[in-house]
Amino acid sequence: MAINRDSNVYTLSFAALMVVLVGGFLAFVSMSLKPIQKANQTNEKMQNILQAIGIEETETVSRDEAGAIFNDYVKRRITIDYNGKILSDLGVADPINPQDKLDAFNIDIRKEYSKYIKPIMNANKGNDEKIKSELANNENIHFPLFICESNGNKYMVTSCSGKGLWDDIWGYIGFESDGKTISGAIFDHKGETPGLGSVITEDWFEKQFRSKSIHENGYSAIQVLKPGKNLDNHQVDGISGATFTGVGVDEMMGRSMEVYYNFVQSNPKVLN
Amino acid sequence: MELVNIFVRSAFADNMIFTFFFGMCSYLAVSKTVKTAVGLGAAVIFVLGITVPLNFLLETYILKEGALTWLGEEYASYDLSFLSFIMFIAVIASTVQLVEMLVEKFSPALYGALGIFLPLIAVNCAILGGALFMQQKQFNNVGEATVYGLGSGFGWFIAIVLIAAIREKIKYSHIPGPLKGVGMAFILTGLMGLGFLGFLGF
Amino acid sequence: MSEETKEALFSPKNKKLIAEPININNPVTIQVLGICSALAVTVQIDNALIMSIAVMAVLVIGNVLVSLMRNAIPSKIRIIVQLVVVAALVIIVSEVLKAYVYDVSKQLSVFVGLIITNCIIMGRLEAFAMGNKPWASALDGVGNGFGYGLVLVIVAFFKEVFGSGTITIPGFEKFHVIPQAFYDMGYENNGLMLLPPSSLIIVAIYIWFQKSKNPELIDEHGS
Repeated sequence: MAINRDSNVYTLSFAALMVVLVGGFLAFVSMSLKPIQKANQTNEKMQNILQAIGIEETETVSRDEAGAIFNDYVKRRITIDYNGKILSDLGVADPINPQDKLDAFNIDIRKEYSKYIKPIMNANKGNDEKIKSELANNENIHFPLFICESNGNKYMVTSCSGKGLWDDIWGYIGFESDGKTISGAIFDHKGETPGLGSVITEDWFEKQFRSKSIHENGYSAIQVLKPGKNLDNHQVDGISGATFTGVGVDEMMGRSMEVYYNFVQSNPKVLN
Repeated sequence: MELVNIFVRSAFADNMIFTFFFGMCSYLAVSKTVKTAVGLGAAVIFVLGITVPLNFLLETYILKEGALTWLGEEYASYDLSFLSFIMFIAVIASTVQLVEMLVEKFSPALYGALGIFLPLIAVNCAILGGALFMQQKQFNNVGEATVYGLGSGFGWFIAIVLIAAIREKIKYSHIPGPLKGVGMAFILTGLMGLGFLGFLGF
Repeated sequence: MSEETKEALFSPKNKKLIAEPININNPVTIQVLGICSALAVTVQIDNALIMSIAVMAVLVIGNVLVSLMRNAIPSKIRIIVQLVVVAALVIIVSEVLKAYVYDVSKQLSVFVGLIITNCIIMGRLEAFAMGNKPWASALDGVGNGFGYGLVLVIVAFFKEVFGSGTITIPGFEKFHVIPQAFYDMGYENNGLMLLPPSSLIIVAIYIWFQKSKNPELIDEHGS
């Protein structure tokens, strides 16, 4: 072959050809796998919400089934702000539209925390009153709320997000129709230590929250204690070796559940 | 305040070497004397400080879903994030090359100190790791991303200088033959990693 | 290209390509390459297995591709071309993981991307595939992939058994190896084993063991 492999022309045309081929091929792969990936994410969220209700029928729902039965259980999707004002209220008849950023299903609870809540908390460390007033005044902060129904009983699934030891943690918490007693909880995390902090996603930890109450002469936060203590109606066991993840769960639940508690107090009708 | 937070966290608690083992290959290869360790460490700070913000801009204005909105509403639905790996590594490789040429031209003294290490850095996991973590952490602005890059680089710098200082002295100890060299370096890094866990509050 | 004496597919020379990297020329413990990703994903055996498979896939395919192109790649942009091949393969691996094994891709998160800078891959492409034929390069990829995976799985085994008392193999239920009776008698899982630094110490012990078996590998002047 007479082509000079060191010439600039050859090098440039080789590079150009490579860019076109690789770029085209990757775009093709990505385009063809995109629908499956999107479906995975949506189904996972539906699965989390369904499992958080804490009823037998949805407890073991798999990710792939979740999409099909989501609407059988979740009847209303409500978005509220920190003060409990309703920003969006959709029913089963309204399909989930990814473009509608106010649809409760489309609210990215991790982003709510990292983008809006975390900066406020870091800037006013130690000053709880200031944090609360700033959170209340920030109109970017949304809280999703799902009203679910099964066998004539109403449930409410709420969400919370915060930070663990390494990275974000978040969860969905289900309540019975009184809006005060927890019926189920599902947690997830981005990068907690596998086997230690990641235990928050395991059954025994999540099931502890069931039938705990956030009410005792007004709002009473759920506390995550060090393991092995005597527990009352507002306390759960933490995880040995993962104190900080436990502190994170404690903090995010205490902060977020108060919003929903106040909301139900002022709008008792949503659960009737 | 937020910036100080990010810096301290990325330099100590989320230390690139001790908690993620990023950049171990060059860390082990170049940590035999303190002098070279300082050179490579400085080069890593430098490159991370440049490439993380660059990649942040790339991510925010081109790659992320909806990032192309500034071109016009009709581009809002484009999602190029599948290209992020290849774009990040391209940015890193070309930045390293550019920096090397610029430093050589304008500051021969600095080139003498950092020059030989720069090419090594393009394939240092710490640099790509910095970019990938930046993508995950979803920083709010370039300032935060820059501080994150500098902090991670600083953490890497401390790690390699500390281990080099220990390795210089450990020559005089009686180590079992099979553990000599990398074996001992692994154990030392493990022990120092345990120490650094203290920054997380263990 | 007129080599009349065709080599057998598994000639002794080719067998060596696979066997050496698994033991005496192990990419992780002897050549000290690719440690970055090796240690961080070893808390559970299933993650370690999937990571090894991903690395091996990229390594074998990358080796073959580069070896096929070795006479066409312009020498000036050699490294960049290799980097592009690897990055493209890693993107495909990561997209496939996200689509078909979503849970695993969530757990591996950034570490899939870091396969790009895994020094084993770039090292083998530059040192072996650029100068050898596709079949030999493929074997070299398999060998080094195995060597890498072996260390990963060994480390993950010790971390998981002593850290959580379980063994997790993809597709099976979690298997509890430490009997409940032990826990009843007061045995506790060692949480320290699950933290990042302990992988380093396990690898060090593995190196110790390996070098005592093969004294010729001992680095007398090392520090």
